[in-house]
Amino acid sequence: MSITRIFPVFAAAFAIMYVICVEANWALVTYHPRINEWEFLTKPAKSGPAMYWYGWIGTTILSASAISLLALPLTRRWPPPVWIGWAVPLAVMLVFVYLLRSFFLR
Amino acid sequence: MFTTLLIIHGLIAVALLGSITHQTAAACWPATKGGSFVSSFRAVAGARYTIANIILYVIAGVLGAIIYPAYRLAIRPYLESAQLWTINGSFEVKEQFVAIGLGMLPLYWLVWRTPLDAKLAAARATITAMLCFIVWYSFLVGHVLNNVRGLFGR
Repeated sequence: MSITRIFPVFAAAFAIMYVICVEANWALVTYHPRINEWEFLTKPAKSGPAMYWYGWIGTTILSASAISLLALPLTRRWPPPVWIGWAVPLAVMLVFVYLLRSFFLR
Repeated sequence: MFTTLLIIHGLIAVALLGSITHQTAAACWPATKGGSFVSSFRAVAGARYTIANIILYVIAGVLGAIIYPAYRLAIRPYLESAQLWTINGSFEVKEQFVAIGLGMLPLYWLVWRTPLDAKLAAARATITAMLCFIVWYSFLVGHVLNNVRGLFGR
């Protein structure tokens, strides 16, 4: 059973889970750069800004890996098309441009 | 320390930029005959760039993540106070694009695995072009941000 079969699923799941993590603010860790402090899960800002980007990527890697492993037995019967591995990320990139449009429309 | 890491981050990005642009040209616009500079640029063996590109992408991303707090504390407040919303938004888009590109790296490796699968030629060209776009966009945004006070200082 080749694990490479799930790479298209992983790329698609990664993009979808990433946009969900950003929008829902599901961060595995929170970093407070002003006081150089890490906290587990999403926490509000303390002194200065809080950074969630590291946490979003952490949550995304874990969730996309879990989805891909769950999909692995299914891919034996239904091999995933490679195009989902680029079409879904491309769509999510466009979604981000839309979500961040307010920066460019002021 | 921050300045040193920023320069290394930039140098890694330059190497990645050249490498992935060569590979994208080879995948999307393969050379039919050699001779000219442009044909030679497109005539590279694309598969040989894959591992280097993955390593450079990850290193550039890790270095970017290390210097990100300095941006968050010093540069972004300046962008907000100077009301440079387009520049600020361009960086927000960059961090999301880079993360999405990270998730595509295993598939990128798969489509460039040798011997090259002719059935994957279209996917290979598309995925490489997307990563190339992410790298170029990130490089240009980072370059503008690095010079933001000189370019847009008020």
